[in-house]
Amino acid sequence: MRDCLKGLMEVNMKTIHVERTASKGIAIGKAYLVDKTDLNISYDTIREQDITKEISRFEAAVANSVRELEALAVKDKIFDTHLEMIKDITLYDSVVSKIKENRQNAEASLEAAIAELIEIFEGIEDEYMRERTADIRDINERLLCNLQGVKHNPFENMNEEAILVAKDLSPSDTASFNTDYVLGFITQEGGITSHVSILAKGLGIPALVGVKDILNQIEPGDTIIMDAENGKILINPDNNTLSLYEKERIHQLKRSEQLSQLKELPAITKDGRKVSLCANVGSIQDIKKAIECGMDGVGLFRSEFLYMDNTHFPTEEEQYLVYKEAAQLSGPELTIRTLDIGGDKALSYYEFEKEENPFLGWRAIRISLDLKDMFKTQLTAILRASAYGKVRIMFPMIISMEELRMAKELLEECKKELDNKSISYDKEIKVGIMIETPASVLLVEDFAKEVDFFSIGTNDLTQYLLAVDRGNNKISKLYNSFHPAVLRSIRHVIRAGHKNNITVGMCGEFASDIRAAKLLLGLGLDEFSMSYREIPEMKNMIRNNSYEEAQAVAEKVCEKITIREVYEVLGFS
Amino acid sequence: MVSQKTKVINPSGMHARPASELAKLASKCESDITIKVGEKNINPKSILNIMSAAIRCGTDIVVECSGETEKEDLAKIIEAIESGLGE
Repeated sequence: MRDCLKGLMEVNMKTIHVERTASKGIAIGKAYLVDKTDLNISYDTIREQDITKEISRFEAAVANSVRELEALAVKDKIFDTHLEMIKDITLYDSVVSKIKENRQNAEASLEAAIAELIEIFEGIEDEYMRERTADIRDINERLLCNLQGVKHNPFENMNEEAILVAKDLSPSDTASFNTDYVLGFITQEGGITSHVSILAKGLGIPALVGVKDILNQIEPGDTIIMDAENGKILINPDNNTLSLYEKERIHQLKRSEQLSQLKELPAITKDGRKVSLCANVGSIQDIKKAIECGMDGVGLFRSEFLYMDNTHFPTEEEQYLVYKEAAQLSGPELTIRTLDIGGDKALSYYEFEKEENPFLGWRAIRISLDLKDMFKTQLTAILRASAYGKVRIMFPMIISMEELRMAKELLEECKKELDNKSISYDKEIKVGIMIETPASVLLVEDFAKEVDFFSIGTNDLTQYLLAVDRGNNKISKLYNSFHPAVLRSIRHVIRAGHKNNITVGMCGEFASDIRAAKLLLGLGLDEFSMSYREIPEMKNMIRNNSYEEAQAVAEKVCEKITIREVYEVLGFS
Repeated sequence: MVSQKTKVINPSGMHARPASELAKLASKCESDITIKVGEKNINPKSILNIMSAAIRCGTDIVVECSGETEKEDLAKIIEAIESGLGE
C-alpha cells in the first residue's frame, strides 16, 4: 500500500513533507484558512481637528458591523441581540463623548466605554445578565476589528467539515468554533505539545504543526489529504491518490475496531506485570469516551477547562458538581490536577500581567498559592467530591518543599472547615505532585516522604531540563524526551518513588509514545496516562511484551549517552 | 405626554431576546419614550439600558411617551410588552 502511494506523487498535486506529527490519523477534506491579525490600539491623545474624523471612523465601524451581524442573525438569534447592542444609543453616546472629552481615538474610547458597561453588568444580581458581559466583549471585539480593518471571527464562515489551516490557534480561538466541523488541524507555528496538538489528540483527529510557509501553499477550498501517519500533506490530489487514501482511512478505522476488542482485558505483560493505563481528560465528555476505550481510571483531570470556558472564577458549587460527576464516572481513580494556567493558557476574565518569560513566570501552583481564596475554593470542591469516588489531588509545577507544605497546609484548612460544617469527604484522600521541573527531580527523594504519588509531566520536564521552548520552531528538533538526561531523570524518579513505596505515573506525551513503551515499562512505571484514543494501542503493546525483557532494554538504554544510541537500542532511527 | 402601567410577563424577565425586540420596536418610534421601573428611568431605545436594569418577570412598569405620535407609539409598546415580546 505504502509503495503504491509513493508511485502516485505526480503532476498537479503538491506534496509537503512534515517532520513531526502532533496527532496521528488521516483526514481528507477541503481547506479552511484562518485569517487572524493582531489588534493594535493606540492610547495617544488626538488632535482637536481629528475628533470628527474619529467619530466618523466609529460610525463606519458600526455600519460595517451591522452588515456582518445582519447576515449572521439569519442563522442564529443571538446575533439579533448583538445587532441591537452595536446600534445602541447609550454605547454610541458614551464612545462619542469619550472621543471628545478624553481626546482619544475611536478604539481607545470604545474600550473605555465597554469597560464601563461591563462594570455595570457585572454589578447586576441576576446571574444570567452578568453573563451577558461575554456578549458585550464580543461586540467590542467586532467593532475593534472593523475599526482596524481586520476580520472579527475568522471561524465565522466555518459551517461544513473542513481541515483547518492557521498560523497558530490559541485556546480562546479553539473555543470559538464547532470542533465537530474540524477534520484535522494544520498550523504554521506551534510544537507537538502545543494547545492545538493536545486538543487534536483529545478529539482523535490528525494534527500537523510547525508546517513552515503552509499558509502560502494552500488556497481556501483546496482539497487536502493530510497524512499524519507519514507526515505528509497532499494538496489537490488526483483521483487515484484520493481513492487510495480513502481505502487507507477505512483500513485504519477497522484496525481501531480490532483494538477495541481489548477493552475489557487488563494491561498486563506476558510475564504478569500489570500496569494502569489511564486517561488524560479535559471534560466529562472525555471521561465517557475514555471509558469506551477501556481506561483504568483518570490519571490527569485538567481542571483548567472549568476556569477557561467560563466568564468568572468557577464557584465551589460549580466545581463540586463537575468533580462529583467525574468521580462517579471514573471508577478506581480520578486524579485532579489543581489549576494549571499561565504559560500559554490565560483567562478571559482575569488580567495577567505581560511576562517576558511566561513559562518561567507566574503559573500553576504559583498562582494558586498567591490567590489563596481561589485555591481553597478549588480544594474544598475537590474534597467534597471525594465522598463520591476515588479522588486524588495533584499539585502542578512544584519546585520546593515550601510550596508543597504550603499547599498541604491549605488543604488541611479546607478539611477542618468541612469538618466544622460536618460535610463528608474522603479522610484518606491521596495527595501527589507533578514532577515536571529539574528541581523536583533533584529533591524527589525528599518529596517521596511527604506525598502519596508522583506523576511525571514529561512535556514540561523535557522543556525545562533541556532549556528548549517547545513552541519555538527553530529549536524544536532539540526538544526530545529520548535525551539521556530526561531518561535518567525518569529512572531516578521511579526508583525514588518505589523505594518509598509510592506509585509513579506519567501523564506527558511521552507516556503515549509507542516507541518509548517498552523502556518505560522496563523502568517500572506504574501508571501510563494518555489521551483516551491511545489507550487501545498501548494496551496491545503492553500485552505483547514481557517485563523481564523490557527491564533489560531499559537498563541498556539508560547507559547510553547520546540520543542516537538510545534510538539504536530501542530499534528505531 | 401619555403613559400606561403594565407588567413584564417574560418568564426569565427582560433578558437579551425580549430586550432586543423591545429596543428594535422602540427605535422605530418617533416619540421620546421612558420606562419607569421603581426609581429607575430606562430608555427602551437602548438595549444595554434595558438589560442593565435586569427587570424580572412580574415587575410593574410604567411606559411614558411624548411626541407627535405618542398615542400610537404607547399603544404599540404596551401591546408588545403584554404579548411577551416575541417569546
